[in-house]
Parts: sequence; C-alpha cells; structure tokens
Amino acid sequence: MASLRKLSERFTETRADDEIVVMRLDSGDFLSLQGTAAAAWSLIDGTLDRDDLVARLAADYSADRPKVEAELDEFLAELERMGLIAGD
Amino acid sequence: MARLAAELTMERETRVRLGSVPQRLIDTALSELSWKISADEFLLHATGEHYFYYRRGEGITVERGPGADLSEESLWLNGSVYAAIASLNGLLPIHASAVAVNGLVYAFTGSAGAGKSTLIAGLGNEGIPMFCDDTLVLDLSDPERILCLPGHKRLKLAPDSLEMIGAVRGEKVSLDVDKYYSASAAGNVQTALPIAELIFLEVASEPSIVPMAGIERYTRMQDEHYTSQLFASAQRFDRAGYFSHLARLANALRMSRFARPLDKCLFVEGVKLIADYVSAQRIPDET
Repeated sequence: MASLRKLSERFTETRADDEIVVMRLDSGDFLSLQGTAAAAWSLIDGTLDRDDLVARLAADYSADRPKVEAELDEFLAELERMGLIAGD
Repeated sequence: MARLAAELTMERETRVRLGSVPQRLIDTALSELSWKISADEFLLHATGEHYFYYRRGEGITVERGPGADLSEESLWLNGSVYAAIASLNGLLPIHASAVAVNGLVYAFTGSAGAGKSTLIAGLGNEGIPMFCDDTLVLDLSDPERILCLPGHKRLKLAPDSLEMIGAVRGEKVSLDVDKYYSASAAGNVQTALPIAELIFLEVASEPSIVPMAGIERYTRMQDEHYTSQLFASAQRFDRAGYFSHLARLANALRMSRFARPLDKCLFVEGVKLIADYVSAQRIPDET
C-alpha cells in the first residue's frame, strides 16, 4: 500500500489549543482537526501507509479496528479530495 | 514610563497640514468614500473634493476642495487615516474600544452598532477608565507580548446611549452622524499597556462570558472591517503570510465572547458582569 504524504505546498498549518488549524492556500478556507483527525494528520509523514495509520490509531485510542478503518478512510478521502495529501 | 518608539512614530506621522494631494494620485479615478494604499502612501477620497494623503515620513496632507464636509474631517483623521498610518508603520489597528484595569488593556470588538462605546461608558460608571474608542493600535514588535498604544479619548455615543449611561453630551460628531462626543466617568489612561484580552461582543438574553479556543479564534479575527483590510494591504500579505499573522495573534491573545442583552433594563447587569471579570485579572508576574 502507498505511503501517504502531505502536499505541503498547498496548505499552511498551526496548532491552536487542542486543534490543528489548516489553511488551504488555494482558497483561504480553514480546516479544524481535532481528536483522532488531528492524530491521523500528525502521523502522515510520507513513510506510513493507510494500514500503518489504522494500527497506530487503534492502539493509541484503544479503539475497534473496523471503526478506526471506517473513520480513517472517510477522513483520508476528504483530505485527498481537498488536495492536501497523496499516496506514493 | 518611557514612551514606546511606536508612540513617537504615530505622534510624528499623524501631523496634519493643509495642501494639495499629488496630482498623479488623483489622475486615476478614486470614487468617493474609497481609498488606496501602497507600500508607503495612502490616499482617501472622502466626499466632494476632500482628500487625505499620507506618505511615510511626511505626515498627512488634507486637501479641502469644493464639496468637502469639514464636519467629518476629524472622523476621517481619527478613523481610516489613523488606521492606515499605523498599518504603513507596521502597527496593527483593530476595530475595538478598550478599557484599562490593573495595568492591562481589555479590548471589545464587534461590528458598527454592537455597543462598543456604550460599554466603555458603562464601565466608566463602574470606575474602570477608558483606553481608546473605536480604533485600538497594537505594537507587535515585542515577541513576548503585544502592547497597546493609547488612542483617541473621546467616546462617540448615540443619544439613547448618552441617556442610558447618564453621560455628559459634548459636541456633535458631525453634521450627518447622530452621535455626540462624551467622556468616560472614570477618566482615561494615557500610557502604553499590554493587552490582556480581546473580547467579542454578542447579544443574548442572559449575560455570559465564554473563552474562545481553537479555530474560532482564527475565524473571528477575519474581520471585514476596513482596519483589517488596511493592514493586510499595507503588509502585502499572501495567504501564507496572512495565516502566519493570524497565528501570531491567536497564540498571543486571550479571546472571549461576551454576550449580553441590549435591553436598557438589563444593561447594567451585563456591565457589572464584565466589570467584575476584568477587575479580577492580574498581570501574571504580579500574582
């Protein structure tokens, strides 16, 4: 499975309290990432693939793997649709 | 207390003289009630042939031609022109009125008519002095803290606010604006002070103060008021630069929402709540 990497030329980000705030440079729109979404975003570093993320999140949050898979797939699809990540 | 370099800059740069705006600037059409700004110049076209021109290092030139409404002149000078000069000198103007208590500034922001000046007058009745009205200028040069420059000290209050507060009615603000100059009953503060909090005014049936966190602090700072637009234009921000600017503010400023009823009968209840809130805070080093 392909490693996931952020397309860092398309956004800028900062941490604000317990959130990660991402701004898309093409539109100026903001994206707020909290909880597992923030954790997943932080794990995307160009070396881990989707299954690695599922394993890490399921362990870190003591969550059911199928539930993590469903939520993560939806989140990754949204990030890809927004042009913020890609798989190598 | 020694005055800040930023204070001296604003004092020097806001000198006014009457004269003519450079013709090259008004050769290109600039409609009434609009402005343009470059890296070191600002031009505002008020009404008629009434122009305000500022160039860094040269102060303000006011051109009074036919149709100029001189009663509006101080409003322009203390509003858009003041904010533009701040912006062109690296200082951040925000659309806010403020009080000072325990050596800290509390700034209240909201759209026109949100009740900023009325609240400052109400806090004056509670013994809390005014810091500025309508435009607050922030000095961002110190990475450790954000300092507020003492600004204009005349409140602009509508007749119903004057009556509700029991404030003294001064001269009319302008021929066309139904507001009057007034003063805070607690006086005002003339020295630069660090900002404690930026408080957004809202309307609700019950008074409340709610801290803001996360992305809300970014989205609420995306003010459409001309003060924000002037600063962004003067600084030539691209989106990444603008985001970086917001992040600096969001990380350095506490922010809250202060909701209160506008009903005259409940006005004092809201004022007392926010008065107690700001009075209870202290400079961290002093606690």
